Amino acid sequence: MNDFSLRVSKNIYIKAISHISNQKPLSEEWFEEPIFYSQKYVRSIEPDYKEYFSLLESRRMGLILKRALVTAINVTRKSKIMNPDAIITGTGLGCIENTEKFLTALIKNDEEMLTPTHFMQSTHNTISSNIAINFKCHGYNSTYSHCGTSFDSALYDAFIQFQLGEIHSALVSGQDELTPDYFKLLKKIPYLKNVKVCGSEASVSFMLSDEENGENIAKISDVILLNKPEIKKMLGNLKCNLSEIDAIVVGNNGDVENDEIYNNFINIFDVHIPVIQYKQIFGESYSISGLGLYTAAEIIKKQKLPVINNYGGKINKVLKKVLFYNHYQNKNHCLILLEML
Amino acid sequence: MSIPIYVTGLGIITGIGNGKSENLQSIIDYKSAVNKIEILKSKHSEFPVSEIHLTNNEMCEFLGLNPEEVHTRTCLMGRIALREALQDANISSETKEKIAFISGTTVGGMDQSEQFYFDFLENDLKNNYIKAHDCGTTTEMIAKEFAGDFEIMTTISTACSSALNSIILGANLIKTGKVDIAIVGGSESLSKFHFNGFNTLMILDKEQCRPFDKNRAGLNLGEGAAYVVLESKEAIKRRKIKPLCQLLGYANTCDAFHQTATSPEGIGATLAMRKALENSNLQPEDIDYINAHGTGTENNDLTEGTAIMKVFGENIPNISSIKSFIGHTTSAAGSIETVISILAMINNFIPANLNFSTKIDEFNFIPNDKNIKKNYNIFITNSFGFGGNDSSCVFSKIIEK
Repeated sequence: MNDFSLRVSKNIYIKAISHISNQKPLSEEWFEEPIFYSQKYVRSIEPDYKEYFSLLESRRMGLILKRALVTAINVTRKSKIMNPDAIITGTGLGCIENTEKFLTALIKNDEEMLTPTHFMQSTHNTISSNIAINFKCHGYNSTYSHCGTSFDSALYDAFIQFQLGEIHSALVSGQDELTPDYFKLLKKIPYLKNVKVCGSEASVSFMLSDEENGENIAKISDVILLNKPEIKKMLGNLKCNLSEIDAIVVGNNGDVENDEIYNNFINIFDVHIPVIQYKQIFGESYSISGLGLYTAAEIIKKQKLPVINNYGGKINKVLKKVLFYNHYQNKNHCLILLEML
Repeated sequence: MSIPIYVTGLGIITGIGNGKSENLQSIIDYKSAVNKIEILKSKHSEFPVSEIHLTNNEMCEFLGLNPEEVHTRTCLMGRIALREALQDANISSETKEKIAFISGTTVGGMDQSEQFYFDFLENDLKNNYIKAHDCGTTTEMIAKEFAGDFEIMTTISTACSSALNSIILGANLIKTGKVDIAIVGGSESLSKFHFNGFNTLMILDKEQCRPFDKNRAGLNLGEGAAYVVLESKEAIKRRKIKPLCQLLGYANTCDAFHQTATSPEGIGATLAMRKALENSNLQPEDIDYINAHGTGTENNDLTEGTAIMKVFGENIPNISSIKSFIGHTTSAAGSIETVISILAMINNFIPANLNFSTKIDEFNFIPNDKNIKKNYNIFITNSFGFGGNDSSCVFSKIIEK
């Protein structure tokens, strides 16, 4: 422990959130009237890109870039923070559609007649840098790619830089696209093999600031990201007593091994605590934890629960503190504590 | 109050050697690894590369791993470098400090995916390699080299600046007291995917690259891995370990200009160096050596040199790019070049910029084409990536007791 850890931590406010997912895009409608899918694979519902890009721009960008930019544009507009100090993206697979296109051409044409466009837009950092190019942001710019905790890593980086006073605003996002072919591949490996919710895509942007003035959705009081922790100990490190937590948001997805970890977590809490399983709505994706945090933030803002499996709606208590918990294959675990303002 | 960050261990594998001493010796002997392609099964043998002359099976043998299990080249190289870094810093499963492992990669498991991609789609023969494809799994597989537990683990993928950004995150984790030690860097094997990708951009040189030369004609790709062990003052006291040098400061900025080209005035590069100096509490004249990104492409070297002249003015410190020795090791470049620069600094010399002959007209400086014997204290290292992901880090000999 150095002197720093003894200092009081800084508050971070969520100023705006925007998403493109399997629910109505750029809209909060999912909270009241979610679309439930029985299919195993569902792509995101696209917004009308004509409102954002010319036809030429639209054609030049892959889907993941367009989605990322549209959610980024929306949070900058809503928060009026046009030039955030940091742009940090989490993506498990990066620009997989362009990667596939370049890879397929490479194999089929035996390393001949390849075009640069798909390669240029195949690297993971294309997303963050495309956002920076659009807003002319010369500040901190980074990309995390760590499986199902890519978004969590991005948020964690922002969190510690806020603590250090290095940044005062950050655009943090989670971005993953899933092509039909790559869905097929992921179905063959443990990641999606036994998952019961749909395989999906996620694009979700958050604008964060340490400035309380203006509109805020919720306050981020704590973020903990640990590799193979003891969960009870991890919860003990949280800046909050467990009895103060009013609801928890968790990532059960129907896979027995995945769900067991979440169930053990839920069992640590009082039996009456509301438990929201956001993947029932949004499905599974490497960046879906971004939509999990979004769910937790909306619960605080709306002071009610999304309706999932006849459970939820208005409940008879103030939802002051909501804890979001994400793990990836019981390796990386992330806790994010949100508070009402 | 600035919190000091110490370097207590290094691990490296590149085309010019496996381990610190081989890499150091090759630089001293002016031995470049940029040669005709041998290990990578690509038909474009007209472009030389810097390869590690060990097959994946030979790397398994070196590491004592079963070659029948699933390995990717990026993971194997990463494990070799991580093993040396752990030993160098005297870290074992007995070490009681909280340790983070932050690794950078973009290629990940692509060297296998590009061989088996049609198997992935059409049959179940190579399914085990599907899960080894992504960057995060790559880091987790490299981490298996450590018998203990890492407190924090994640993966950065900002193309050619990934490994420097790992160093930056690791330092921030120590500064905020999240960990006592951070093992940071990156690993990147050659793949046909990015070799061909760079070829489509027409920025590969058919000769050994010539950074900062008027007649430069592109870059050579290389492969390798390196990790730097960063440690807090408290931890080195508790562990009674002697640090090698210090990380004084750093910056991550964005050129925000174009996906694969740099702004002519070098906005991102200038900002990265200026902010890193500011973060280190230094003036430009305090820098003794600039370890440049210097890829050898028309675009990068002109922009980087322009930025260097903006930051350092008339008195440009000694400057060199070591990419003509090891090639451009992309996501691992930041940590590989940091390790080699640290080795050079503590051995009191400035490494050479091979193949330089003619000054660039717009420049007021030339790189040193020979190793220069010199006792100096501080260097800055640059890594600039696609999309304008520009980072700089400043290291010094031990100044704080």
